Amino acid sequence: MPAWVISLFVAAAAVLALVVGFRARLTRSREGKILTFVALFILPIAAAALGFSEQMDRAQSRTFCLSCHVMNDYGRSLYIDDPSYIPARHFQNHLVPRDRACYTCHTDYTMFGTVTAKIKGVRHLLVQYFGTIPKPDQIKLYVPYNNRECLHCHLGQRRFEEASPHHKTQDLLSAVKSGQKSCVSSGCHEFIHDVGSLKDATFWNEPQ
Amino acid sequence: MSRSKMASSVVETRIKWASLLVAAGLLVQVLALLRIHPLSFVAFLVIGCPLVAVGCLLYLESLVLADKPESK
Repeated sequence: MPAWVISLFVAAAAVLALVVGFRARLTRSREGKILTFVALFILPIAAAALGFSEQMDRAQSRTFCLSCHVMNDYGRSLYIDDPSYIPARHFQNHLVPRDRACYTCHTDYTMFGTVTAKIKGVRHLLVQYFGTIPKPDQIKLYVPYNNRECLHCHLGQRRFEEASPHHKTQDLLSAVKSGQKSCVSSGCHEFIHDVGSLKDATFWNEPQ
Repeated sequence: MSRSKMASSVVETRIKWASLLVAAGLLVQVLALLRIHPLSFVAFLVIGCPLVAVGCLLYLESLVLADKPESK
């Protein structure tokens, strides 16, 4: 449902709630009681649920993640003209949804992954407004990046399973799959956002 | 003022408060929907939703009050 329809619905529910509140005598009749029940219970809950769903949807968008100034360089790193940079390669080749590029890789693919990601997001906000904001190149993940997030898409993928570097040693692929060997910190795919080196990087000019 | 009139006046006052809380909560939610930003998300969850919830609960309480027998 488009956001403006949801906003309009929520606004209409607010107006109806006010009207019922200032015409409280309505509640003396049977029809008035039904209208009050709709205006003060059914519609507000429906409006809040729709709004919540829209907010959760927005919270997964790239615009949302990059709306904080400190994240600008991370957004720019998606355009580095070098395929060895994992986020840039995924973003530029549409290997992740472009409008959800951040969330796709930075959520936990577990039952409560989205909730965990949002709780971490609240922590970011607390730091942003009440803490000391680190420089972009000093931002670190709270926990080491889990292979599970890569394997969510790559597991079973032919290019991943058959790639010769993944068979350099006999047990490499199984070690990666079991999480014993990290995809990103074991020296194989070490170029992630690397925002500290952005000033020397060249960038891809996206065709309009 | 008779008891039933007093009771209905109390109920109507509660309904008025409930409607104000619900409307205020929904207004915060509409404003939070105007902009895509983490603060909008937090305002929606931390201010908008609780106001609506309290308003709904107050309305439900008024229903219970209205349903109470006048005298024992």
